Amino acid sequence: MSAKFLPCGVYHEDYKHDHAFWQTKFVKGKMILLFLLTFVFIPMSAGSYWLSVCNQIGYTVLCALGVQLLIGYTGLITLGHAAFVAVGAYTSTLLVLQFHWPQFFLDWGLAYPFSIIVAGLTAGLWSVLFGLPSAKVKGFYLILTTMAAQFITVDFILTQYVSQIGGRGQAFSLPPGTIKIGPWIIDDEVKVYYLMAVLVTLMVFALANLVRSRPGRAWIAIRDNDISAEVMGINIVWYKLLAFFVAGFMAGIAGAFWVSNTAALSPEHFTWSWSLWLVGVILIGGVGSVDGIIFGSIFMVLVMELLQMATIYLGDFFPQLMMKFLYVKESAFGLAICAFLIYEPRGLSYRWWQIKNYFNLWPFSY
Amino acid sequence: MPQESKMPALPEITKDLTIPKLFYRIAQKYGRDKVAMREKEFGIWRPITWHDYLENVKYLTLGMVRLGLRKGDKVAMIGDNRPEGLWAEMAALCAGGVAVWLFQDCLVDEIQYIIDHSDTRFLFGEGQEEVDKSISIFDGCPKLERVIWDDPKGMRNYDQDYLMSLKELQRLGRELDKKEPGLFEEMINKGRGDDIALLFYTSGTTGRPKGALLSHWNMLTMGKNLMSLDPCFETDDFVSYLPFAWIGEQMMSVSCGLQVGFTINFPEEPETAQENIREIGPHVMFAPPRLYEQMTRTVQVKYLDSTWIKKKIYELAKSIGYHVADLKFQKKPIPWYWKCLRWLAYISMQKKLKDHLGLSRIRYAYTGGAAMGPDHFRFFHAMGVNLKQIYGQTEIAGISVVHRDGDIKFDTVGTPIPGTEVKITEDGEIISRSDSVFQGYYKNPEATAKTLKDGWLYSGDRGFIDEDNHLVVFDRSKDVMTLSDGRPFSPQYLETRLKFSPYIKDAWVIGDKRDYVTAVMCIDYSVVGKWADENKLSYTSYPELSQKPEVYDLVEKQIRNANKDLPEVARVRKFVNLYKEFDADDDVLTRTSKLRRAFVEKRYGEIVDALYLDSNVVHIDTTITYEDGRKSHIKTDLHIQEVRD
Repeated sequence: MSAKFLPCGVYHEDYKHDHAFWQTKFVKGKMILLFLLTFVFIPMSAGSYWLSVCNQIGYTVLCALGVQLLIGYTGLITLGHAAFVAVGAYTSTLLVLQFHWPQFFLDWGLAYPFSIIVAGLTAGLWSVLFGLPSAKVKGFYLILTTMAAQFITVDFILTQYVSQIGGRGQAFSLPPGTIKIGPWIIDDEVKVYYLMAVLVTLMVFALANLVRSRPGRAWIAIRDNDISAEVMGINIVWYKLLAFFVAGFMAGIAGAFWVSNTAALSPEHFTWSWSLWLVGVILIGGVGSVDGIIFGSIFMVLVMELLQMATIYLGDFFPQLMMKFLYVKESAFGLAICAFLIYEPRGLSYRWWQIKNYFNLWPFSY
Repeated sequence: MPQESKMPALPEITKDLTIPKLFYRIAQKYGRDKVAMREKEFGIWRPITWHDYLENVKYLTLGMVRLGLRKGDKVAMIGDNRPEGLWAEMAALCAGGVAVWLFQDCLVDEIQYIIDHSDTRFLFGEGQEEVDKSISIFDGCPKLERVIWDDPKGMRNYDQDYLMSLKELQRLGRELDKKEPGLFEEMINKGRGDDIALLFYTSGTTGRPKGALLSHWNMLTMGKNLMSLDPCFETDDFVSYLPFAWIGEQMMSVSCGLQVGFTINFPEEPETAQENIREIGPHVMFAPPRLYEQMTRTVQVKYLDSTWIKKKIYELAKSIGYHVADLKFQKKPIPWYWKCLRWLAYISMQKKLKDHLGLSRIRYAYTGGAAMGPDHFRFFHAMGVNLKQIYGQTEIAGISVVHRDGDIKFDTVGTPIPGTEVKITEDGEIISRSDSVFQGYYKNPEATAKTLKDGWLYSGDRGFIDEDNHLVVFDRSKDVMTLSDGRPFSPQYLETRLKFSPYIKDAWVIGDKRDYVTAVMCIDYSVVGKWADENKLSYTSYPELSQKPEVYDLVEKQIRNANKDLPEVARVRKFVNLYKEFDADDDVLTRTSKLRRAFVEKRYGEIVDALYLDSNVVHIDTTITYEDGRKSHIKTDLHIQEVRD
């Protein structure tokens, strides 16, 4: 099931082409369509509500990338990823709001783009700090240390200390015009959408390429069997910490992006349930698959939105829905997840693979 | 019909032109810009440009010259299809030598006979296996001087002084090149078209192999004549996986390949050939019927295991394909609505099916060497594959008769290619004359005199020319047999019909001068095995599986199907499942998988006798020899079953 299905007559004389992502005209055509859909069709035709849904999806993808890297590719279960997203968001915000930049730096709109990168690096290093126990502990114990990251970072450091910087109280808000890249001021949904689309494209490419590089193969080896990996000569501590750094870096970018969408920031955005949610995204999308992140994010966000719409619509007829059964939406969602785990345990990406395979093997079954 | 403008510019074949001259010219022309051959290695198709090809051949040639190879000396090659094998052949030809190819799976005494009979001085083997064989025959072949290998795996501890690696030989060649630059070109220029190029040991359905001598002129005119009908192009891909010791492979890779300069692709291993063909998607292929039969069987088995909706679409598309193919065979115009349906069948099924079989880009698929049943023929044409029967023999450098595009008749082999005359003698023997007729058998003037009379090649095959000027060939021994009451039937036709069933790998139909027709069947182990698994039958081996009553019933059903629209006389009445598959190592098949009737009859005489007695069981007590020389004793009872109507 792993080998790529190539049509007859497609062959390669070197490894560069053999490892290319898109090897046939058909796939290239599909990718051009996807590109047009993402960068032209959706922003042109979607209203601001659907754009905001798309932005939500994009944010989920950016956050879940690191979770997929840790859980799906390196086998390090993390339940504290929201912490690193938060570190990114706060780093970016503080750099934009509090740092005393030379005036030209602000005029040229360099503060925000610069802060995105610094946010990534800070979150990455912060993640490595909490990844250190992974050198020693595995499994449930590692889950506990990542949860510790969540509580120490968000509930303690950010809420008690960082939020107090500048004396604004609990929340930061970013005045209009502070978030700009060069002359491009990001102040409406479409612009946020474009920023999201570019970041998601870059990050997905980065992850997809990383996991097929030397570190990627090392991570997969560690996931499959860490003792064998070490015997094969892989420095597992180094590669585990590298995984934490990259995952944290991606989370930091996600956090820095999120600031542009909300223009406000408070610790409630980064609760433990968001960490848990991200694990749900990759479970539903498919563990150990880059497509899975995207499928999972789209599914989770859309199902939530549809349930919301259904509740509002039904609320006209059954007013109790809004009053007494306030959690019907969440219950329905929980049910959906349970059904998913029972009937589609290998995730949406596996289902996608099966659908493609059904037609690739046509008119046979194997 | 190919248009004139689409024809590639073929080199003019003169008596002065040789294969090395052509090779040198084309290698100079393409140099580093074009890939001459590819070999699949470590997952990729490693390219070898014409420049690399020339360099390798050059130093091999000079290396052999340095070791004392003289004009006319024989150089033998054995091993899987791989670039080094073709380099060695080309190097032998460049030095004015004669190339002799051996089948990879030849047994040791066959190798010894051929090496000794051909006076071979140098033997190119692939690796350890071939080297081991050569060591065991070395003392029996006094004229053999050197054994050269190219695959170093397992070769570390061999210290025989006549062994040498290909690299070492090329190093010697490089030294000679420094001393005498221009020697290589000089040697190539010395060649003449009438020089002997290849010495081919024909597998033969009877007796010891005979060595047919073919000149450069023979090989090149053959290729040119074939391609004047079915042109190949320099952009074509060809997959070389059938033994070079078979004339068909030489004809495609050398006779045709060098003239147009297409790319030859070598599979990773013989076992992966089918998969590798699918990757490459060749434009031309030439294979014995067995390979096409195998493809048909694969498709049928996969179809049986498919899901309902896929099955239905497959059936629908197939019946459309059959209808259109039948119209074409009858040379009737295809109405527009059938064209539309054919297009639907193409996009919904045939396109994918061809893709699975690696036939997406195929322009000509040839089959030859043995008869192929009409069922298989229709099957491939219904899929839209231009499958054509050809007829020829080693003695005419490949082929002499082929189906024209759009003029296919299952029971014929087509019409002669340009430059070839085919006649039938008064006794019904097929004789042919062309520039490609061979120079005689090596050290066998009697056989030569029997085969070659006034420039006519006497094939030993019987046949006739039908009303459309198509040649019809009977089986080498006897195509039409007669029952004891004088009624005729065709065993080969019956066998090909039986083999259309996916469960049956081989069939041998008996009945000459007997009261009724019977058959010995070899089941297909993997397909019947799978069927047995699904039907919860337990078995441990081929002999056991073949004797299960349920399997007998299954085979009987297949026979009944084949019997269905046959005249009463030609129906198979009784059959027996053999305890093993037919194999070339038992001498019952030729290396190109033709049934050798005389040998099977001798070998399985007791079964034949039992089929015509009233008993329903035959006791077998025999020894079988495996390819590696192991012997095992078999004691078993074979059940004989009647075919009920």
